[in-house]
Amino acid sequence: MFHVNFSLFSQTKALENKIDMFHDKLLDAAMTFKKAVAVYLEQKRSDDFKKISKQIKQIEHDADNLRREIENNLYSQNLIPDLRADVLQLVENLDRVINKFDEVVYKFYAEQPEIANEYHSRIKELCSLSADCAENMAKASRAFFRNVSSVRDYSQKVYFIEHESDLSSRKLTEAIFDSDLPLANKLQLNGFVTDIADIADTAEDFIDELLIFTIKRDI
Amino acid sequence: MGLSFFIFLSSGLFLGWSLGASDASNIFGTAVGTKMVKFRTAAIIASVFIVLGAVSAGDGTTQTLGQLGSINTLPGAFMTALAAALTIYWMVELSMPISTSQAIVGAIIGWNFFASKPTDPAVLTKIAATWVMCPVLAGAFAVMLYYLVKKIIRVSHLHLIRQDCYLRVGLILAGAFGAYALGANNIANVMGVFVPASPLQSFILPWGWELNATQVLFLIGGLAISCGVITYSHKVINTVGNGVMKMSPLMAFVVVIAQSLVLFLFASTELQEFLHSNGLPAFPLVPVSSSQAVIGAVMGIGIYKGGRDINWQLIVKIAMSWVATPLVAAVVCYVSLFFLQNVFALEVFR
Repeated sequence: MFHVNFSLFSQTKALENKIDMFHDKLLDAAMTFKKAVAVYLEQKRSDDFKKISKQIKQIEHDADNLRREIENNLYSQNLIPDLRADVLQLVENLDRVINKFDEVVYKFYAEQPEIANEYHSRIKELCSLSADCAENMAKASRAFFRNVSSVRDYSQKVYFIEHESDLSSRKLTEAIFDSDLPLANKLQLNGFVTDIADIADTAEDFIDELLIFTIKRDI
Repeated sequence: MGLSFFIFLSSGLFLGWSLGASDASNIFGTAVGTKMVKFRTAAIIASVFIVLGAVSAGDGTTQTLGQLGSINTLPGAFMTALAAALTIYWMVELSMPISTSQAIVGAIIGWNFFASKPTDPAVLTKIAATWVMCPVLAGAFAVMLYYLVKKIIRVSHLHLIRQDCYLRVGLILAGAFGAYALGANNIANVMGVFVPASPLQSFILPWGWELNATQVLFLIGGLAISCGVITYSHKVINTVGNGVMKMSPLMAFVVVIAQSLVLFLFASTELQEFLHSNGLPAFPLVPVSSSQAVIGAVMGIGIYKGGRDINWQLIVKIAMSWVATPLVAAVVCYVSLFFLQNVFALEVFR
């Protein structure tokens, strides 16, 4: 029994590290995303952009592996049986946000949209808001595991930033469709705006769920 | 001492078996039900600590029951325990929150009436007062522990996964303490009536630990309770969980500790002596109901959280059982003793 207990302690520590590393991956993805879009706007599909695209692909791949390991460990070691389903859902949804960062960067890589200079600052701002939203979502999720009382603080930030991102994306969409660009360009650019803003929306959905799980955690 | 002793003891052993089968869920119900602790681990720990508690600390509560009525023949003790068991079965059928302690006290009073022996009202009052005190005290302990545990979790910032790990260890330790307290407090219900008429002798265990005659009886009773834990408690846990309501493992930890503290307070001779020697009021040594302690603990937390979870119907049922269970047990015992004496011509009292 003592052997079992000691192995339980070591397994616990290993899983704790994996969950922390998974959150780190999300923060890495958010920062790399911001950098990737900024580089694209400056240099288009340059070598630097290709390098950053690869970086974000690697982050997404590592996060997928970590997610599988976390899920596998939770089930094989029968950990947190009463909260396991909630934690699995949280991890899946965090991974969805990482995937979205990767998808948007890949979309820039594949479609190579023509973006006029007048939109650069607004797109950067929208990317920054979406990335901030995801960062605060990651902090809220980390707090769920370590310090439940601060989940609300980060959640509130996510709600605020998501609202800002909505306003920003609407203004950008209106500006795009008010412009003299060909319709094909307008639709393409609007697609990018929607995809970037969708990251903040996904973060908001995640927070809605997280708050319910937080109430459930309260004994 | 022959086969007849074990035949007469069978009703007490059955009572012990049913106590183990039903009350183990109060100790390990949620831990096993939520898969935090394996049933095998829980059953082994519960069995060992129930026997330890019964043999090492079961004397205090037995003396109190002895003061209420000293049943001086084996057939009388057999029927008293059987009457308690029958009452429990009947009350369970009526979905009452039954207590073995209340049933055995009623049955002893039934024997007192039948044998025309006096029932000491002071002892009876002392016992009845503990039935009320038990859930109230469990509720108070649960609130204090609940507050403390919440505070510790908030301040420590422990990772959820590590909390889970510590909670598993905590549930095992709480379960061991609960089993010890259950054995110490409730062995009197199972074997108490057999003590005055028991023909058992003292016994030296292979490693040199000497058990006196009462402890040998308690060892047999403790093994009967353990048998109930191992053979049947899993079914009880699977069907009714912890018997009261669905709890999180953390809340179960608080409830088990609160319940165990109450059972321990009402069973520990050492604690009573310590309090006496320091001029403090001591707790009477009386067998109390672990199920009602659990109900008290859960409701205490409910009240602390704002009173939304209070099940008033259950409180009324508990209050009714304080009166109904001993009354029914006394009547069943009286009628059964009459039957045993006049149909089988057995000496049920001296």
